[in-house]
Amino acid sequence: MLIEKDAITRYIPHRAPFVMVDGLVSATRERFESELTVAADNVLVQNGFFLETGLIEHMAQTCAASFGYLDSAEGGEPKIGFIGAVSKVVVHELPPVGATVRTVVTPLHQLGNIYLVKGESSSDGRILLGCELKIVVSE
Amino acid sequence: MYANDVKMSWEEVIEETRDFLSEEFEVDRDSILPENSLKDTLDLDSLDYVDLVVLIDENLNVKLTGEDFKGIVTFGDFYQLIRQKLAL
Repeated sequence: MLIEKDAITRYIPHRAPFVMVDGLVSATRERFESELTVAADNVLVQNGFFLETGLIEHMAQTCAASFGYLDSAEGGEPKIGFIGAVSKVVVHELPPVGATVRTVVTPLHQLGNIYLVKGESSSDGRILLGCELKIVVSE
Repeated sequence: MYANDVKMSWEEVIEETRDFLSEEFEVDRDSILPENSLKDTLDLDSLDYVDLVVLIDENLNVKLTGEDFKGIVTFGDFYQLIRQKLAL
């Protein structure tokens, strides 16, 4: 694990109870990978399952943590990012409480401070959700 | 210029560009004229410019950056930018 749970908030602006990424598995400019184990008290759990919005937020926080880590590694300060748009969402299934979600995000394009990324979340080898996000990073 | 493995003339590149822009941004193809505003005609906000960059990359294999859009007002300006990138 590149960044463990107890250190993740050094790289993202989110705070409990809205931290939706446990750790960063790997991060390069070409590929981000993260993990989240769905806790019963997660605010985006409903009827025992982590909601689609939770998976999308988890994906966005994967980007935030990865950009933050990479910026820090290059001597910069982590920047604030926002979800600008969500598109091409395909939901296969929702993970239950206790499941570990692994998410892989690939940056596709960058135009100035806007990044288009493609992400896919899975659990135990089963695809949960895929989508594209436009992430706007503050300058 | 090659698109879909078929060699295209510059005029064909423009016509092809008008086709995919009108389809993607759901605007009348006839409104995509050299003298018309790129931003206003396609109703582009800052996020839409990313879609435009993706479209140009996927259809014409041209990579555009934010810097490239400085000074681009009309479709005519935009076509010239693409032409420079394609070295046509």
